Amino acid sequence: MRRYTLNISDREFVVDVQEIDADHFEVVVGGESYQVRLAGDEALTGAVIAPAPASTATNTAAAVPRKVAASPRSAPAVSVSPPAAKKPAGGGKGTQTAPMPGVLLEVNVKPGDTVTRGQQVAILDAMKMHNVIGASQAGTVAEVFVAAGQSVDHDTPLLKYGE
Amino acid sequence: MIDPSMIPALLKGLDGVTWQAAVMMGISFVLFYLAIVKDYEPLLLLPIGAGCLLANLPLSPLMDEHGMLTILYRFGIENELYPLLIFVGIGALTDFGPLLENPKFVLLGAAGQFGIFLTLLLALLLGFTEKEAASIGIIGAIDGPTSIYVSGILAPHMLGPITVAAYSYMSLVPIIMPPVIYALTTKEERAIRMPYSQRRISRRTRIMFPIIVTVMVGTLVPFATPLIGMLMLGNLMKESGAVERLTKASSNEIANMVTLFLGLAIGSTMGGEKFLQTQTLFILILGLLAFGLDCAAGVFFAKILNWVTGGKVNPIIGAAGISAFPMAARVCQRLAQKENFDNFLLMHAMGANAAGQVASVVAGGVVLALMGAG
Repeated sequence: MRRYTLNISDREFVVDVQEIDADHFEVVVGGESYQVRLAGDEALTGAVIAPAPASTATNTAAAVPRKVAASPRSAPAVSVSPPAAKKPAGGGKGTQTAPMPGVLLEVNVKPGDTVTRGQQVAILDAMKMHNVIGASQAGTVAEVFVAAGQSVDHDTPLLKYGE
Repeated sequence: MIDPSMIPALLKGLDGVTWQAAVMMGISFVLFYLAIVKDYEPLLLLPIGAGCLLANLPLSPLMDEHGMLTILYRFGIENELYPLLIFVGIGALTDFGPLLENPKFVLLGAAGQFGIFLTLLLALLLGFTEKEAASIGIIGAIDGPTSIYVSGILAPHMLGPITVAAYSYMSLVPIIMPPVIYALTTKEERAIRMPYSQRRISRRTRIMFPIIVTVMVGTLVPFATPLIGMLMLGNLMKESGAVERLTKASSNEIANMVTLFLGLAIGSTMGGEKFLQTQTLFILILGLLAFGLDCAAGVFFAKILNWVTGGKVNPIIGAAGISAFPMAARVCQRLAQKENFDNFLLMHAMGANAAGQVASVVAGGVVLALMGAG
């Protein structure tokens, strides 16, 4: 579980997010529990948030959690879990981690590259199969933590996306 | 210089060409094409094609009593040596870790063998004898060595077509499996994510596993002892790490050598008159059906698991409950990734696939026991 403490318009919200599935979360805000399904997640590079916040993250829950999803905070790379990496919307920061253990055969991006969601960023050899790792979000690659030939464990940070 | 009466002797080869042999040579060219151009199981189909070609050339000395192909056949097919040696190599290459992480997938491996028994019944209806029908059904497990082993005991006269069917379908896994999976699942089901579940398996468990399985299976299904014993021997060598040289030799040099011998010997059983019969066609069709039914049974069972767990099992992985390790699991991963590029259920599919590997051996033993082989 991750706890986000958010200050929105001088009001403090404590949001607890529990991953149930890769795209399914249980979110507790102010004692109310919501089942949240992440239906979309895209970075609108270059777009600026207009006065009425355009939420790109689709939530089934009411207004409060929507605000939450629109302003995610990414924690230091090491402890980030995959859902946290997938969540960032609207060009926020995020870290992508390895989906399973294996050896990286190729790393196809370098800092500064712009990628679209799903674009190949690396090839992971797991169980002797070449798995194409797609970008978990659109945006610019800020940092690459791994190199080809390196063996990674489940959840090892691969890249960090930035503005 | 040349005595005219020598000419017929020199042209004896041309005279010896029968239409069946010509057709079989054509088939060997198809096998070469599949192996070299299409890259379908080249390690097996190329030697099988070569064996087929060499056996069907007129008056082939290789097929004489002391011909190389005859010797290779007697050396390792007649007495079941090759499939067992191959199994040591397969055991040394199989990682049962994903199965130990998710032991419930044993069920998928078991479900993946239903097709064998359905096909057996159908073959009986078509007029095959019980033993022939059982050998045909085993094709459905897509386990080449087990198919050779079982049919070598029950129906040696059908070894050629059965082996060719088993290995061809093994190479066609990426083509045959997807339509079966697509036909039985919805897009939503295929999109179900199965994140990697981390669970460290201790070295002790990994070492105990092959020993326990050998003792259990060997006691319950004695007919499966040779196959399971060799499979698990290979795995024990790998997991113990104590005999790295033997592990490497089994999974590389010995497996490669035996594959060459096996391919040539199997190819040599594809003699024109024996192979070109309607029976062969039936065997190929029934084998394909058995394969399809095995996949379907696995997918159905995975659907039940999905329902029981409340939507946590992607039915695609049910199809991995056959033996073709690790190809079947890879196909499942590819299909899942087609729906969601970041859905990596490979490890779960590998678990089901490893279970299928063991289950097909057990099924082979059960079939042998049912047929009262001895």
